[in-house]
Amino acid sequence: MTADTDVALRVREALAQYLKRDVATIKPSDSLRDDLGLDSLATIELLYQIEEAFDVEIPDTDLPSLVTVADVTTYLQGRTTQAPPGAAKPNLPSR
Amino acid sequence: MTPRIVVTGLGVTSAIGIGVRQFWEAALAGRSGVSKLSAFESMPMEAYRSQVAGQIHDFAVGQYLVGPLAERVDRFAQFAMVATKEAVADSALQLGREDPYRIGVMVGAGMGGMVIAEPEYHRVYQALRPNRVVPNFIPEVTLNSASGALAIMCGAKGPNLTISTACSSSAHAIGLARDAIRAGRADVVIAAGADASIVPLTFGGFCSLRALSTTFNDSPEKASRAFSRTRDGFVMGEGAGALILESLDHARKRDARIYAEVAAYAATSEAHHMVVPREDGLEIANTMSMALRNARLRPGQVDYINAHATSTPIGDVVEIRAIKHLFQRRANQVAINATKSLMGHTLGAAGALAGIVCALTVDSGLIHPTLNYDDPDPDCALPGISRRAQERSVQVALLNAFGFGSNNATVVFKRCLT
Repeated sequence: MTADTDVALRVREALAQYLKRDVATIKPSDSLRDDLGLDSLATIELLYQIEEAFDVEIPDTDLPSLVTVADVTTYLQGRTTQAPPGAAKPNLPSR
Repeated sequence: MTPRIVVTGLGVTSAIGIGVRQFWEAALAGRSGVSKLSAFESMPMEAYRSQVAGQIHDFAVGQYLVGPLAERVDRFAQFAMVATKEAVADSALQLGREDPYRIGVMVGAGMGGMVIAEPEYHRVYQALRPNRVVPNFIPEVTLNSASGALAIMCGAKGPNLTISTACSSSAHAIGLARDAIRAGRADVVIAAGADASIVPLTFGGFCSLRALSTTFNDSPEKASRAFSRTRDGFVMGEGAGALILESLDHARKRDARIYAEVAAYAATSEAHHMVVPREDGLEIANTMSMALRNARLRPGQVDYINAHATSTPIGDVVEIRAIKHLFQRRANQVAINATKSLMGHTLGAAGALAGIVCALTVDSGLIHPTLNYDDPDPDCALPGISRRAQERSVQVALLNAFGFGSNNATVVFKRCLT
């Protein structure tokens, strides 16, 4: 297994554990919000677990680029992704 | 006949001033109370995503209160006591001449005694000596320690309640204080709000929730920027506010100064999400509409809105969406400001401090600026928001407050025409 595919699997495993689902049902193309049903708080909880697992800190400014499972994988593989111009910030907690 | 309820005394403990005069001068001048987050002893501060806060520096309760009670309560309750002492003095109430069973206390608090709680938790788990928990831990940490302390300080033996609905707590305290007097359960109610939870675990919790501003760590005074395009989260604050509410008849009998009438109050739940409002703003619009109907007022009669406006990306735009929905063309005429732009979000104190601003604004016609509104978000921009102080006749003012747990409150203040 290459390092890259290892990252992809670990991300999917983290999601599977968080969602209490079979890892085989989580596809790289799945949208965190639209396909996996993560709302803003759930996304933050998931990213917290991923930060722990990969020993990284994901700043708020990078969140808009993390739309799909594959986006999270790519981000962790090198933090090379950039938010597309005009990308909306996710609905972070607000009250 | 149901009594009308008025505000006759105000008191403030805040990052922009302890005392109403200092607070109001700073607010009108647009002075920020947000600064670099003070160090938490040996905690690695660089690990906090957000490093700014609206802290009250060098607060020593002994400068304001004497006696053992103030020394034996948590910082948030001390803030409440200092604000209440000022509010009672401002009202010129002679508490000793009142029936003590007719004086109530309603306090909004979001977090409770975190200043004592956190280090004590740490000590007990680290030392594994549960038999050495400090004896005053429970009385200090309990959420209603502030309302209890205020009752003891003032000799208030009437209804004594603590309302905890996160960031809307003390807006409800004002509303429920009004309701208690209208229902005949009290003649006078001290309505207060207090929080002091800028401590390592709680602050870290808000950081992990990604609710706080992170991109202005090197320019703290710019971090709380409601309605600005570059807003990125709220700034944690601390403090307390206290208002003396009484029936108009009671105030008249003693020839009290009246700041404003508390004309109505509405409380709702969005029943939607623990930490995010409904994006269409309809629940917030409905809450404001209910409050106005209760006051027998129309949206077109509102002159000023003290917005909840925490400086979060979603919260500010949803509130403006709600205002546009309810007020229609009037949304372009009503004055709006964000008190949190001055000192951050004081959580359980925010409603009381906003209520104080509403009372002062109705009384004076002066509307404090919204700090850092120098790059308006097109989705939030309205002509009545300004980074400069405004002056206009304010007959009717709304206070909006929203809390985690899907909680909304609106309080209506109006000029007291007798």
